[in-house]
Amino acid sequence: MVVSLLLALPAAAGLWLVSGGRALGVRPARLLTAVTAALTLGLAVAVVVLGAEVDRPWLPELGVRWSFGVDGVSTPLLLLTAGIGLLVALHAWVEVPAGGSPATFLGCLLVVEAGALATFAARDAVLFLVAFEVVLVPMWVLVGRYGDPHDPRARTEAAQRFVLYTAVGSTTMLLGILLLVASAGTADLRALAGGAGLGTGVQLGVAVLLVVGLAVKVPVVPLHTWLPPAHTTAPTAGSVLLAAVLLKMGTYGLVRLPVASVPEGFGVLAPGFAVAGAVGVVWGGLVCLVERDLKRLVAYSSVAHMGFVVLALAAGSQTGLQAALYGNVAHGVVSALLFVLVGGLKHRWGDVDLAVPRPALRETSPRLGFVLVLGLAASLGLPGLAGFWGEVLAVYAAWAPADDRPRVVLVVCAVVAAVGAALAAAYSLRVAGIVWVGDRPDPDVARTPDTSGMERWILAALALAVVVLGVAPMLVMSVTADAVAGVVGAR
Amino acid sequence: MSALVSVDWLVLAPALAPAAGVVLVLAGDALAGGRAGRWALPLAAVTLVVGAGLALRGTVAGADAPLRTLCLPAPDGACLWTAGPRTSTLQAAVLLAAAAGLALLHDGRPRPRDGAVTATLLLAATTGGVAVAAARDLGTWLVALELATVPAVALVALRGSRPAVHGALSLLVTSLASFALLVLGAALWLTATGDAAFSRPSAAAAWAVPEQRAVLLLAVTVLVAGLGFKLSLVPFHAWTPQAYATTDLGTALFLATASKLSAVAALLVVAGALVDLGGATTPVVLVLGLPAVASLLLGTVVALRQDDPVRLLAWSTIAQAGWVLVPLTALSDAGARAAAAYVLAYAAASAVAFAVLSRTGARTLEATRGLLRREPLAGGALLIALLVLAGLPPGVIGLVTKILALSAPVTAGVWPVALAGVLAVVLGIAVYLRWVAVLLGAGTTPTALEEPGTGRRRSSVVVLVLGGVVLVVTSALPHVLLASAS
Repeated sequence: MVVSLLLALPAAAGLWLVSGGRALGVRPARLLTAVTAALTLGLAVAVVVLGAEVDRPWLPELGVRWSFGVDGVSTPLLLLTAGIGLLVALHAWVEVPAGGSPATFLGCLLVVEAGALATFAARDAVLFLVAFEVVLVPMWVLVGRYGDPHDPRARTEAAQRFVLYTAVGSTTMLLGILLLVASAGTADLRALAGGAGLGTGVQLGVAVLLVVGLAVKVPVVPLHTWLPPAHTTAPTAGSVLLAAVLLKMGTYGLVRLPVASVPEGFGVLAPGFAVAGAVGVVWGGLVCLVERDLKRLVAYSSVAHMGFVVLALAAGSQTGLQAALYGNVAHGVVSALLFVLVGGLKHRWGDVDLAVPRPALRETSPRLGFVLVLGLAASLGLPGLAGFWGEVLAVYAAWAPADDRPRVVLVVCAVVAAVGAALAAAYSLRVAGIVWVGDRPDPDVARTPDTSGMERWILAALALAVVVLGVAPMLVMSVTADAVAGVVGAR
Repeated sequence: MSALVSVDWLVLAPALAPAAGVVLVLAGDALAGGRAGRWALPLAAVTLVVGAGLALRGTVAGADAPLRTLCLPAPDGACLWTAGPRTSTLQAAVLLAAAAGLALLHDGRPRPRDGAVTATLLLAATTGGVAVAAARDLGTWLVALELATVPAVALVALRGSRPAVHGALSLLVTSLASFALLVLGAALWLTATGDAAFSRPSAAAAWAVPEQRAVLLLAVTVLVAGLGFKLSLVPFHAWTPQAYATTDLGTALFLATASKLSAVAALLVVAGALVDLGGATTPVVLVLGLPAVASLLLGTVVALRQDDPVRLLAWSTIAQAGWVLVPLTALSDAGARAAAAYVLAYAAASAVAFAVLSRTGARTLEATRGLLRREPLAGGALLIALLVLAGLPPGVIGLVTKILALSAPVTAGVWPVALAGVLAVVLGIAVYLRWVAVLLGAGTTPTALEEPGTGRRRSSVVVLVLGGVVLVVTSALPHVLLASAS
């Protein structure tokens, strides 16, 4: 009951805002959105605490059940989604992009949140896919309608690219899910976890379809090319949702479906997957070294961070899974922080071209400057901040992979990824050097106004989360530990 | 007569209702003369809705106890009319789609002067479409199918304008060719199986003997080709865009929904007999799979380039016909159910799209720009219809029927068709989202560009509201539609 409410509340409020309440003014709309998001967060906590679940027939023709519930793997992501959902709702006090009615914008945010929550709570493979698809249209609207107002053509193109890439991924995944369900005779993810006892050939077929499909969403190099344009053009709230929530749906799907249900098939693909992850780390890092658009730079750093998660998943050990799940949450928080910050800078400056000399952020707006440095430090994996544990454990997991993985390949990948981490330090310092240290103050140029009001509180909450996750990683790891042992131990 | 066959009039009612409507309309026309045109269309619509209500009676009957009538006494007691839940649902859908077509004809400008003739033709075609769904023997099946086709040709020709006559001519030529093929196919089927009915045991028995297998395969090939014309499958699709674009919206809606529903119902009769063939079924899968893949890809790719919404819908019909064939390549009962569910969802969405075009009078995609703001009702209905056609939530029913349609070939291991399906999903999303983007766009087009008098098109509004409600309800509770298609 509580689970149904958790999903129905943001979905109903969001759908009402995009249909009946379209004409609502910005004030009532954002108040409604914020209240809905806050209640949703409360419900998410209640679901986790109570262990609430729902299970009833939905499509008997396909053997699909309306089955939602949470376990160790989904709990952190569910809470992350609900938390980020509240923050993007509050962000409406900072900025509501032009391009359409504010109610539609906020409604789309809520529908995306509802879809993501349903994806993380679904315990049925087909239901997971349906929930996965729910976010597509509202996100397309967010990018295509409310994105960067300067270039309508780029906006349309980025939105289209996002939808079509994701649709390729999810339809390929659908074939994998259908094959899995047809061969295993059940769509229940709990029954499928730990290997459904399929033959090696079928396992490999399912794993190829699922991994390719989900790799688009993660995204894994070379299927990542939809991400930078989508991030660059999306409005701030859309970017935050995209990075902190939507990408997680890809890695979560990888843990739930191929890793848990067809472990042998995934094992065959793991070396190639690890290489793709390591290439992603280095590729993202190299692009970040030369990228001029700060927003696009943060997007590419997402590709690099997801590379670590992919590498950790490929390692196949318990540590690897833990690192992947932790890295997921950490990236969610860090990227949300950076996108709120960069979105704010873009709002102030009009663009975020690094080649344009600007006064030093540390002088004109010290609070923004501090948060930027914090975000960059977390992004490069400084110990004590959120980014550190995910990356260190990922490299460690690849260094000491599960027994059935080819050690040489993974060790090489670990070394390459470690080099990539050094690149992260280089590009983070580059950005800090340009933006934080900045150019000499020019009296003619308008000062960058410092953060205040709601934006300050959003940034403070995210910064706090970055520090807390970095200092106390066990907050997440203790939650995921049992579930991870269940997935790996059953192999 | 009752000594020869048993007749249950109530079971036959779905087909008798439109037939009775023909009689009523013609009698009224004869008695009232030229004044009959005013009420002929509403009267016809009423009989169709009554027929649909009577057809729905069959959907509650159990799948193992279908409604049967026209049964031969002994020895085997075969029934010429067998309507299980799926058949009854398809019949009801044909009747309602025809009623929707009438509603749009009623709103059409200029309103058809020869209302009685139009109504008669449409009712006659509907009678055939309803009967073919329940036919299980070759004779009834052929006659009913032809009854469903010929009046539709006349309907297109009746719209007077020169291009419409061209459209009707191409439709006439193709339907003659298709009829010839269907007769040939039926004859070959009879030769191969020695059975004048589409029955599983005789088809399986014929498939087991190599010589008969070749003839049966030829029969299936020719039958699929003949039905391909009606279903607008590539390579038998060429008449579709021309006929849709040159006729009026009501007739186009009828061709796109009622006509397709009856063609799929006819195809399901044939496909139902091919389920338990046993042995190597690859040739049959090829016969069904090749047109499916060709329609999926060609239909979506060409639809991507259309700026006339009617032509876009015509090409998307071709693609959707391919989608209906996708689950049938599995040659299983689940596949037949998936095909029926798919065509039902498609027909509802298409009817809504045509009704919105009729309501707004839009002849280009640009003319629908900002429709969602100008007319939230029409815009919202079109939005949900397009999302259902694309298979994206919130049009959940479109997604669920696509999942069901892909599930059958994946289970049966027909991978080329499944992979073509993936490509078609993505291209289809591009097609429909292109239109959705226009709908959502800022309404810069002055409303003065619209045809005058759009405000009075109430019948179209009824169709789009009812169709929209069907789409929303089945999206919230997809089980409702799937259960009625099983």
